[in-house]
Amino acid sequence: MGSYLVKRLLLTVFVVWAALTLMFILFYVMPGDPVELKGGEKALTETVKNNIREKYGLNDSVPMQYVHYWGRLVKFDLGNSYQNDESVNHTLGQGIKTSGRLLLFGGIVQVVGGLGLGFIAAAKQYSFADKFTTVLSVILQAIPVFVSGLLAQFLFGVIPFKNHWGWLNFNIRWPEKWYLGVIPNGNWKGIILPSIVIAIVEMAYLARLLRSSMLEVLRADYLRTAAAKGLPRRTILVKHALRNAIIPFITALGLTLVSIFGIAVQTEGVFSLPGLGSKIAEAAIGQDAPVVLGLSTVVILFAALLTLLVDLSYGFIDPRIRLTKGDK
Amino acid sequence: MNAPETAALAALAADPVLQTPELTYWQDARKRFFRNRLAVVGLVVLLFFILVAIFKNFLITKGYNDLTSNILKRPGDSRWWLGTDDQGRDLFTRVVLAIGTSLSLGALVATFSILIGVVFGGLAGFYGGSWVDSLISRLIDTFYAIPYIIIGIAMISIFGSKFSVVVSSLIVTGWYSTARLFRASVLQVRSSDYIEAARATGAGNLRIFLSHVLPNAIPAVIVTMGFAVSSAILTESIFSFLGIGFIEPKPTLGVMIRGARNYLSSDPHLFFVPGGVLMLLTLAVVLIADGLRDALDPKLRGAS
Repeated sequence: MGSYLVKRLLLTVFVVWAALTLMFILFYVMPGDPVELKGGEKALTETVKNNIREKYGLNDSVPMQYVHYWGRLVKFDLGNSYQNDESVNHTLGQGIKTSGRLLLFGGIVQVVGGLGLGFIAAAKQYSFADKFTTVLSVILQAIPVFVSGLLAQFLFGVIPFKNHWGWLNFNIRWPEKWYLGVIPNGNWKGIILPSIVIAIVEMAYLARLLRSSMLEVLRADYLRTAAAKGLPRRTILVKHALRNAIIPFITALGLTLVSIFGIAVQTEGVFSLPGLGSKIAEAAIGQDAPVVLGLSTVVILFAALLTLLVDLSYGFIDPRIRLTKGDK
Repeated sequence: MNAPETAALAALAADPVLQTPELTYWQDARKRFFRNRLAVVGLVVLLFFILVAIFKNFLITKGYNDLTSNILKRPGDSRWWLGTDDQGRDLFTRVVLAIGTSLSLGALVATFSILIGVVFGGLAGFYGGSWVDSLISRLIDTFYAIPYIIIGIAMISIFGSKFSVVVSSLIVTGWYSTARLFRASVLQVRSSDYIEAARATGAGNLRIFLSHVLPNAIPAVIVTMGFAVSSAILTESIFSFLGIGFIEPKPTLGVMIRGARNYLSSDPHLFFVPGGVLMLLTLAVVLIADGLRDALDPKLRGAS
């Protein structure tokens, strides 16, 4: 386990370094000069322009800028915005609250839903729940999250509260408590619908994965033995089939946790949530390089950390991996 | 030849395992593909969209940015049968053009990202374990560590939202998953006995790669291609929806859905027309790719 751990850590460090360097290069060539962004229509004198460049360290050579970038990063200072001088750390603090809540609730829905649906689909093959999971995952493969998000808003927000479309004449006003998170208003309920939207794509995929790996395990000889010696079906399903089928689930979960950022950006866009994703997109449209670079840095670090944790968790879940990987 | 031997030979000749298959691999794959009802439906829908894109000049009578109506029209009007958007532009015209953009973009991106992925993944897999493999694998790991949206944001904000830039940013975000997949499948093929045999007869690296490794990995490439098309179409729409891909007034599905956000409650058709087309288009491609995956899987050969 020890050498594996060291190898894995080194790989993570390398990948983070390479990714951040790539990002630095990309954003160095990105247009968007603080002088232009600040000056606007006004013509600035050369001295003022120079002072502004000096302030952002743009007069240094590229290697020096790169060294400064790492110097600041080590102290966890992400720099200042070109547009309004606000510290990127401050912007991060604002965005991370929304994003964190979204990811936390989304992650819970994803894991619980994926486990539950997959388990039921495998335990009762060809039942309604099984077919539902299959159809759902095929359809969701083809719909981007922003479309399913808008669809969810329409179904749970517009239809219950607006009756003006002639052919959709619902003469019911749903009680106020149905107003589940359609409009994010800072209330915890506001996070329910976005969390479901953020979770549902990968949830269906995870459920299908768990189903197929569980069905494979269920066909194994030792489970026939378990049934033959009279173990109750519940024990067979939970203690044997689920335990053995969970590894691919965890692997896929790790991959989805990395891709969840892409999903979060869209969800934040649909529900107008002021999270990290929408802040990055906004800053990119405004060509505010330090904000994009700083926030992306955090996202990359976070994703790398999660991947590492998932990889290391294999050893705890599956003792076989702990043994074989230690040998190498 | 005595009687028992003749009988044994006859029995051998009748043994189903020893029969030469009646159909070649590709004929069998085609037969199985067309038996898959969902895949055929997907193919029909995709062909329909391709025809719409090819004959767009016969279908549209208005410009995509022309203000053809003073007010926002609901669908069903005789002149604007899908309605108009908030700026009075004909929705049908814009959707038809958007379909063409999505399809050509999907085909271009898929072709190039598969090509790059096959070359890099093939090299890494073929020289598995050497420095070439480590170099390429670490490069792939690096790209995996950066969320694809951030790569897209960076590239498009550097080079502007032109068609060529959006296509290249989608290729940059698309090649590495193919490369990783292809590397794994080449590694698997490389360790098989027939490669060992070819090497023993004195075949060189290039020959082995071209005549043994590549043909055996082609089915995997075709299947990946299908999924690459759908993911290119989806990713473009995501970029455009976020405002970092194509921008107004270019008619693409993502741009149209972005514009529809504020009209969800008053005029949902602005969302449902491009959203529905996007869904049908990608669903069709995914169904075809699913069908191809089953049809090209040699393990399922002969099964119906």
